[in-house]
Amino acid sequence: MKKRSIKNILLFFGVFVVLASTTGYFLWNKPHTNILATEAIEISAITLYNTFITDSIKAKKTYVNKVLSVTGIVKSVSVNQQNQQIILLKTSEPDASVNCTMETNAIGIKIGGEVLIKGLCIGYINGETDMGLPGDVFLVRCYYST
Amino acid sequence: MIKKIIYLAIFFLFIKSSCFCQEYFTKNGRISFFSKATLENISADNNQVISLLNTKNSTLRFYLLVNAFHFPKAMMEQHFNSDYMESDKYPSSSFKGIVTGINNFDVEKDGSYSVSVNGTLEIHGVTKNITTTGTIIIKNGKLSATCVFKIILKDYNIEIPSIVINNISKQIEITVACQYEKRS
Repeated sequence: MKKRSIKNILLFFGVFVVLASTTGYFLWNKPHTNILATEAIEISAITLYNTFITDSIKAKKTYVNKVLSVTGIVKSVSVNQQNQQIILLKTSEPDASVNCTMETNAIGIKIGGEVLIKGLCIGYINGETDMGLPGDVFLVRCYYST
Repeated sequence: MIKKIIYLAIFFLFIKSSCFCQEYFTKNGRISFFSKATLENISADNNQVISLLNTKNSTLRFYLLVNAFHFPKAMMEQHFNSDYMESDKYPSSSFKGIVTGINNFDVEKDGSYSVSVNGTLEIHGVTKNITTTGTIIIKNGKLSATCVFKIILKDYNIEIPSIVINNISKQIEITVACQYEKRS
């Protein structure tokens, strides 16, 4: 009887350890949010930028760390030091943009053309007022569609 | 009279352009960090850094959003934002400083220059004075800057949860790498 109960305790403990480590392993290695599979908030680049400028509290609450589908006119296309494509979308302020870092480089993007970009909004960085440089609204891990 | 106006206009245009050409900026600069840990090394990249460099008055500035640091693992990113950096409460970090040795070089001439940087670094709502060294490289009229320095987490009130305190390094190495554009 005593032997059986020790056996049961050991079995229970063993199962618990296996379950805990498996859960821990999967939690630790869980993948990042799948941008393409996540439902997005649809907005234009101009409205997104204007909301951050005029009502930053509302903008942060509504858009930061959310997946957005942003429509806008392409201002420029370049690459960063990691060879990731950077697409800037026009806003109401000539020196400010919705700054999109692409997850996969888009082909055939034309400056002046209208695009739809889906990505994760990380927020707005105030520019440098002393030097007259306005900030950008940033989207990361972006995907392009026409 | 018309000639005078034209000369005056050219003069002002020259003044404007000569002022702006000493300002360099990027809105996609790169700052990454590395920390040695017992179980798994921790590293993350932020490629959404705004930086401005004025070679005339030697000012250098950096601005970034903390939640833009991207980790190889989602769970690392989550812990970094919620447990360590409290990015909801302290969403941004900045550096405002002066570069020493910058007015000795010609921005039109290719070369690599060692500089010293001194200024205030704000992380996690705490502002500290730091001094470090860096390199400014000019190649084909393009200017880039690199710098590596270390910070102690405790200096910025970043607490390591007691459960992992022995597994995580108390200081992290920060690498800055920016390619600047001339302001037109």
